[in-house]
Amino acid sequence: MESRVLKPILAVYVAAFILFLYGPFFVLGILSFQQGPDGGPQFPIIEWSLYWYKQIFGLTPPSRIAPLPVGEALIRSLVLAFMTMVTSTVLGVMSAQAFRRKFRGSTVVFYLIVLGMMVPGVLTGLGTSLLANNVIGITRHWYTTAFATHVAYTYPFAFLVMLAILNRFDGSVEEAAWSLGVNPWTTFRKVTFPLIFPGVLSAMLFAFTLSLDEFPRSLFAAGGTEDQTLPLAIYGTFSVEIHPNIFAFGVLTTLFSFALLSVYGVLMGLSVRRARKLAMQEDIA
Amino acid sequence: MTTETAIFRVDGVTKSYGGVKALDSVMLEAGVNEYMSLLGPSGSGKTTLLRVIAGFEVPDSGRVYFQGRDITGVPAHERGIGFVFQNFALFPHLTVRKNVAFGLMYGGGTVSAAETDKRTQAVIDMVGLTGMEDRGVDQISGGQRQRVALARTLVMQPKLVLLDEPLGALDANLRGRMRNELRAIRERMGVTFLHVTGSETEALAMGDSVVVLDRGRIIQAGKPDDVYSAPASPAVAHFLNRFNLFSGKLSHGVFTGPFGTVAAPQVTRAADDVYAIRYDRVRAQPLGSVADGPALQATYIASEYLGSSVMNFFETSDGKVVEVEHHLSLGAPETFEARQDYILTWTPDQAIVFGQESK
Repeated sequence: MESRVLKPILAVYVAAFILFLYGPFFVLGILSFQQGPDGGPQFPIIEWSLYWYKQIFGLTPPSRIAPLPVGEALIRSLVLAFMTMVTSTVLGVMSAQAFRRKFRGSTVVFYLIVLGMMVPGVLTGLGTSLLANNVIGITRHWYTTAFATHVAYTYPFAFLVMLAILNRFDGSVEEAAWSLGVNPWTTFRKVTFPLIFPGVLSAMLFAFTLSLDEFPRSLFAAGGTEDQTLPLAIYGTFSVEIHPNIFAFGVLTTLFSFALLSVYGVLMGLSVRRARKLAMQEDIA
Repeated sequence: MTTETAIFRVDGVTKSYGGVKALDSVMLEAGVNEYMSLLGPSGSGKTTLLRVIAGFEVPDSGRVYFQGRDITGVPAHERGIGFVFQNFALFPHLTVRKNVAFGLMYGGGTVSAAETDKRTQAVIDMVGLTGMEDRGVDQISGGQRQRVALARTLVMQPKLVLLDEPLGALDANLRGRMRNELRAIRERMGVTFLHVTGSETEALAMGDSVVVLDRGRIIQAGKPDDVYSAPASPAVAHFLNRFNLFSGKLSHGVFTGPFGTVAAPQVTRAADDVYAIRYDRVRAQPLGSVADGPALQATYIASEYLGSSVMNFFETSDGKVVEVEHHLSLGAPETFEARQDYILTWTPDQAIVFGQESK
């Protein structure tokens, strides 16, 4: 009885969810194939063309529409996301490792870390820029102040992922390694790390993607035009006028994200097989 | 046993978890080339004791000595004491060979690659895993995993190996076989084994000596047959799982229990007055016959066939179950009528009497 009512409701809900998730992207995708340079960012499609894709790579003759000023911003964002990913994941793994044993003040430290993802990004960004300009007196850059806010923001995610992974981790394999005369650092490298690697991958993915499209913190903490990250640069272009070249760029970045996810999926598949072995071993106990 | 011949000595070790004492001033030592089994119910502190010796836990007080050296503050990886886990704790991402070679490859010692290969192969052959070297540890059976765990430890040639219920994860058939193999391997290597178990049969069968642990204290230590024939307290008798225990009153060498009043010429000093009679010492006879000695009326419930013997279960009027074991080597078992009353009796001088007054 219950499922006869509940099931259709859930089905409609899921359909709506998928529509809202992919609908905007689908529309953007279609519009990115608009004719150029005269076609605008709206229906109907005058004529299907790859004009805007070519325009991004500078393969079209000059027109009144300037190419997207995203080249350097894209590099900046990728480098920043990579730096953030490495830093946050290393910090996340290390601090989650520390939390395996209860220590004095661990609850306070836990909340201090997690606060980084709770505090509104605008406040963090604004505060950081005030701190840099008025208190410390340093110039804001994407690789200094913005980097710091990105780490403060993504580190809690990496930390929580690793905490969940290490929570289920059976420490007896580490003790076994110690009893074989292997020191704790080598044990971590040769036993613990390979076994928690799926979690590390997830933490890396979180940190990278969160940093890549971070907006409010970068807005205040990144400094001038020569320090703009990709989201800021894109925002800057459509404050004047929107052309389908932004849509084409959006499609390309989404494809990039999918490529990233596929790499993650493949690596994950490999290490999950390994994790299953561990689970089987725990079943015996 | 003096300290010179002892491989390890635990001196007054106490360890508490949140106010509960897991170990309470434990004193223990084992000799070189000895098989010692440590028996206790779950929660008796036996695993904690093992973990303190291995260096996984730091005792609140007391010292641990190994080969005459105080190792209380030495980290686990510098102790040179082997440890075999109940769940084996194999490295799931490595093959059998890599698991066994792990300590030689990454441990502190400088062992050449050729030497590592040679020793690894020798141990793999010894535990009977030849041909399995390149399998993953998920592709072998429970008994084979047990062997990998053992081989991985033995390849380091430790002087002391701690085994935490190493047979607990195996099925009964395999357990029996591995018991013999553990003994044989230990004798060949000449190392001391300290084997923790919750199984009284395992403890009695395997140890050169048996130590009984209860609520963080050692309540008896000795040779298996001494412990078996003369348990030091009602608690030991209870763990051995071979005795019917009756509470009653001991007064002037006479024990009064549910079976009447019986003379108790030998009394073992204990806090409570308890009368213990082994399962296989009790006889059941028809109701109305005269028992010369103790007589306990009980109802027959059921029996269990154990292969070499039959265990008969009787229930007394106050709901206590009394077990009567009949060894089949002594002839065919008697048959009892279900729900019928019988008289249980035994020869009084085969009983063990515990009490506050001792002679």
